[in-house]
Amino acid sequence: MAHCERASRPLIQCLQKSSMRGISGLQLQSTRAFQSTTILRDEVQTEAKPQAFYKAPDPALVSSPRLERRLMRQGILPVGSRRRRAALQNSDNLPFEQLPYQCFQAARKVLLADREEKLKEITATSEKIARIQALPKEELSRNANASRLKALELHLETLQVHADINDPLVKKKFEDGQGDMSKPIYRYLADQQWREYRRKILVQRITQMNVIPDVLPHCDPVLDTKLYFGRKPVPPGEFVNAGVSSTPPKLNIQMFEGGEKLVTIAVVDSDVPNVETDSFDYRMHYLAVNIPISAINTKVDLNQLSADSQVVMPWLPPVAQKGSPYHRLSVFILEQKDSKPLDFAAIKAHETDRDNTLLRTLQARYHLKAIGAHLFRSIWDETTFDVMKQIGFPEADMELRRKRVEPLPYKRRNPSTFR
Amino acid sequence: MLQPRLLTPLRALGGATARSNNFINRLIPQQSQAQSLLSRTTSALRLAQSSSILSNPLLSFSQVRHASHSAQGAANKHSRDPAGKRLGAKRTGGEYVVPGCIIFRQRGTKWFPGENCAMGRDHTIYAAEAGYVRYYLDPARHRDRKYIGIVFEKDGKLPTPQNAPTRRKLNRIAVPRLPENVEQGQSDLTVVVSEETGSMVGSVTAVDAQDGKQLRPGYMWREANWSIGRAAEKAGITAAPYDRNDRWLAWRKRQAKAQRAIQMKSLKNKKKASKKAKR
Repeated sequence: MAHCERASRPLIQCLQKSSMRGISGLQLQSTRAFQSTTILRDEVQTEAKPQAFYKAPDPALVSSPRLERRLMRQGILPVGSRRRRAALQNSDNLPFEQLPYQCFQAARKVLLADREEKLKEITATSEKIARIQALPKEELSRNANASRLKALELHLETLQVHADINDPLVKKKFEDGQGDMSKPIYRYLADQQWREYRRKILVQRITQMNVIPDVLPHCDPVLDTKLYFGRKPVPPGEFVNAGVSSTPPKLNIQMFEGGEKLVTIAVVDSDVPNVETDSFDYRMHYLAVNIPISAINTKVDLNQLSADSQVVMPWLPPVAQKGSPYHRLSVFILEQKDSKPLDFAAIKAHETDRDNTLLRTLQARYHLKAIGAHLFRSIWDETTFDVMKQIGFPEADMELRRKRVEPLPYKRRNPSTFR
Repeated sequence: MLQPRLLTPLRALGGATARSNNFINRLIPQQSQAQSLLSRTTSALRLAQSSSILSNPLLSFSQVRHASHSAQGAANKHSRDPAGKRLGAKRTGGEYVVPGCIIFRQRGTKWFPGENCAMGRDHTIYAAEAGYVRYYLDPARHRDRKYIGIVFEKDGKLPTPQNAPTRRKLNRIAVPRLPENVEQGQSDLTVVVSEETGSMVGSVTAVDAQDGKQLRPGYMWREANWSIGRAAEKAGITAAPYDRNDRWLAWRKRQAKAQRAIQMKSLKNKKKASKKAKR
């Protein structure tokens, strides 16, 4: 316990005993099993026979690693840090708004006033939006009105974020992972958190490994993409065993904007060795279109997508021939124009050749825009040969060896130029 | 400036004069009156004038040289014209190079490695691919760095457009894959004994070395060294892989080590004790 807490504890308890007794029937939550205050202990005892904590550990209070592990095995994650949970176990159940600090209460008043102001602005803006939307069709489609509507909607979104951004409870909820992604404020916070570290890593990997000029000319990721083979997350750029990557991965695509989008997902290998031309080719390992994603609908299992309306090219397990340099398998999430569905049957009929389908061409042909990316690598390992046999890889029994470069002929220097 | 440093030896001298007045009187009989004065006042000037013979070695002993006076003798110490280091371009633009070919030697990074080039430990730029050398600027990559690159075609251009895919070469050939883990025999020394030449040490080929015992140097019939080294493998003895988390095993090992150390120490002591007893 920190020193400040130790100092303030008697004060809080004293205040609680004197003031809260009077306001009995308080809206204190009685969900927690451990209470140090007398009122609540009475309450618990009257309610029911208390169950032992270790039999049904509370994810908000559990602090021993053993119980934490048990909870996690059940699929429940403990809330917040262990230190916080341990501190909560024997803290007084004081609602956040009633914390007895003068400065704190004064600051809250300022923040509440600010929030009131923002709420007023929100109502004003939404009224304006409603007025524009109520206009007749021909006037609404005019350029000025349409752009004004768009600007107002953007403004409304920022106002909604600003109204809640100073709320400590919102921050706490977000940090506990209980944020509701359908609300703009939690999306905003999640976006900030993603841009702080994970996006930087992703951008660094895809640029340093030259995925960006090799596969696509440009990509500005705005989606947080996580890739899982089985249950194991793969950080961008990691080497994945051929045996592991023989099953299609699962994606977790987190959008930070409202609304729903239709996206195309493509997995491209940009390092297919071509011995005849002495260079590298591309191969499309997976292509699926018309996949709906939104801020709350994030999970995409490449194995579960429907074969007759989404998957154009099913998953081809990546294999790297022995001796070939590592293969970069880049996953791209491309936004379809205006979130309109593409004609699946036409694409299926047109795009049949895995080897000669460049992502650059697809992007131009179907007006796609890359909004998310991920990357993993594959290289020859002990499981590769089995996977090659499974998929009937043609050059399974060949390996690549370094070509000997003929040294330059020895050039005899003219001795007369030397002294 | 000299005075405070002089005082200490003088005080010592004063004491000495007081004790052995006779000795000094014999040395400098004319100044005996001044000596007695010195013993009372310990005046530096007086001493310097009076007993020059005595004070000179003492003075030189306590002299100080300050940093404000420059040291002598550095006239030809640092050579002003060292041998040239043969830096500079070794390959001009457009010249054909192969991997490893040194293109530019430099101190520091006057030039940076661009496409298909690499930089060595002493900032030497060398080729990583076979091709033609280009010296170029790439403002999209860096504002004012000069680059050296390699292009594959004789009339290729650098820098390449910013968003174009990188041009690479495979530089590999496809050969049938060898099965892994094939143990290859190694050659070893054997002794060849014949009537005419006597005994000779020769080496057998890898194929012969595999079959069993042969006459080796030192007139021993034994297997090749490398096959002796594989004895444990043949017998199927495997060591348990090291487990970092097996603290119980670590504790036992540590304990055994400590025990052994104690034992060795006691043995050592016994040896010493017995030696002492002999003496």
